[in-house]
Amino acid sequence: MRAIFTLAGKDLRNLLTSPMFYVVSGLCSVLWSYSYIRALLMFAEKSRMYMQPGQDGGMNLQREVFLMHISQINLLYVFVVPALTMRLLAEEKRMRTYDLLLTSPVSATDIALGKFLAGLGAVSVLTGISFMYSLLTRMVADYPMAPLLSAYAGVVLVSGAYVGVGLFASSLTESVMLSVILGLIFNIMLWFISQGAGTENMPMLSAVLEYMSLGQHFLNFIMGAVKLSSLVFFASVIGLFVFLTQRVVESSRWR
Amino acid sequence: MIEVKDLSKTYGDRPAIRGLNFTVQKGEVVGFLGPNGAGKSTTMKIITGYMAPSSGEVKVAGFDVFEDPIEVKRRIGYLPETPPVYTDMYVKDFLRFVANLKGVPRDKVTAMVNASLEKTGLGDVQGRLIGNLSKGFRQRVGLAQALVSDPEILILDEPTVGLDPKQVSEMRSLIKSLKGQHTIILSTHILPEVQANCEKVIIINGGRIVAEDSLSGLSKRMSGGGHSVTVKVRRNQDAVAKTLAAVAGVLRVKNSGNFIEVECDGSEDSVEKVAAHVVASGAGLVELQVQALALEDIFIKLTSKELTH
Repeated sequence: MRAIFTLAGKDLRNLLTSPMFYVVSGLCSVLWSYSYIRALLMFAEKSRMYMQPGQDGGMNLQREVFLMHISQINLLYVFVVPALTMRLLAEEKRMRTYDLLLTSPVSATDIALGKFLAGLGAVSVLTGISFMYSLLTRMVADYPMAPLLSAYAGVVLVSGAYVGVGLFASSLTESVMLSVILGLIFNIMLWFISQGAGTENMPMLSAVLEYMSLGQHFLNFIMGAVKLSSLVFFASVIGLFVFLTQRVVESSRWR
Repeated sequence: MIEVKDLSKTYGDRPAIRGLNFTVQKGEVVGFLGPNGAGKSTTMKIITGYMAPSSGEVKVAGFDVFEDPIEVKRRIGYLPETPPVYTDMYVKDFLRFVANLKGVPRDKVTAMVNASLEKTGLGDVQGRLIGNLSKGFRQRVGLAQALVSDPEILILDEPTVGLDPKQVSEMRSLIKSLKGQHTIILSTHILPEVQANCEKVIIINGGRIVAEDSLSGLSKRMSGGGHSVTVKVRRNQDAVAKTLAAVAGVLRVKNSGNFIEVECDGSEDSVEKVAAHVVASGAGLVELQVQALALEDIFIKLTSKELTH
């Protein structure tokens, strides 16, 4: 347990103090600020127009602004998370510090979990930054908090899946560059796996593929529905990739 | 402390080590010697639990390396060929990290880190980034990292490679100062290193052990107990060389250019007689050097013999 937190602490500090993180989070906030404020202003404009006496207008901040914001966060994370996780194991191998990890009294599971937590921690800081937009909107508009929290739970889970993927990609190679590219491809594959869903003549396969659709489960959270099946889905994706990483780390012992 | 039995490792179909057997007792300093590519690093890596052998077994302090890797790793401090240091960490932070990673009890971490900083003489640079340190200092950080958990066994893989002569001698005296506190395996292809520090030598070549003995035992065995004396005189070199052959105990005299090589039996008496004879001849003795068959010669003999087989 202590080894996990020692490793996670070191890597988290390493990630959060790297110039890379500042560049990434800086650029992300520029993009978010631009489109969030635009969406918010458009929403304000529209609601003023539709705001007739005795009419609700059917406008919903969650659907009009936050949904857009969160899908943008998700889109960015597909690219940004592999860039944050690329160094987790690839750099250790390249700098030969991997030797230190493998000759220390820690298990491959400790290494994989420690690295995963570090990556998730760093991405969560970024998620925290993005959460401030919605939070600050509370100063000018009132909205129910619960759906927003559910949506952000979804963001944390989906970023966890990306971190797992990125970590696994990083464990496969010594090259940081290749690690980013692999992570990116795996992320995109995760999204495209559900493409086969909706195949009419194979309802069984279609159902399975639909269950494996990252987008569908993520959408549940965004819509404010915390479903057990979605929680299980994200936990399994994260578990799978952390497990695969653990196997790769372990394999260096008997290869 | 360390028992190695029938240890073999193949990379693909290329055997790296073949049937190694040796034991290391507690407190011993063992030199692990061999040319590049002999299988030294592979053996070290297997002992540290970094990789598994293809066959055979290694026991460290009674624990099997493959069955109980965590217990084994707890007892070993390992300095690989390239010191495993994070260039973007400060020396002290790095050592704290390693101490925590190696499971040093929480309340002892600070004391252990300070102790290893002191042992390796890193006190002055503890607040600097490792990436900004010279190669010699990085190597010391690597050693400090191996020492920080105060392990029973230290495994040092070519600790002086790439250092300048001053750093090499500092590193050597550092290793010397660790004698007696730890069981040490020192792998190297640099012979003076072994001569300076080790009591026991294991010479490995082509993945096999070709000699395992104490340093003095080894040189005695290989030379048949003889001495070679080099004599340098200012005048009359040829005349001195001729008369030297008649001195009791001298087996052979070779007059080669700048000096005379005298091979005599192993006793100090004969060396004394040779010296007395040269001085008495009035040829102006400038240099006289007794060379027990040097480790270098043994090494070359053993490793080239193996290759011609």
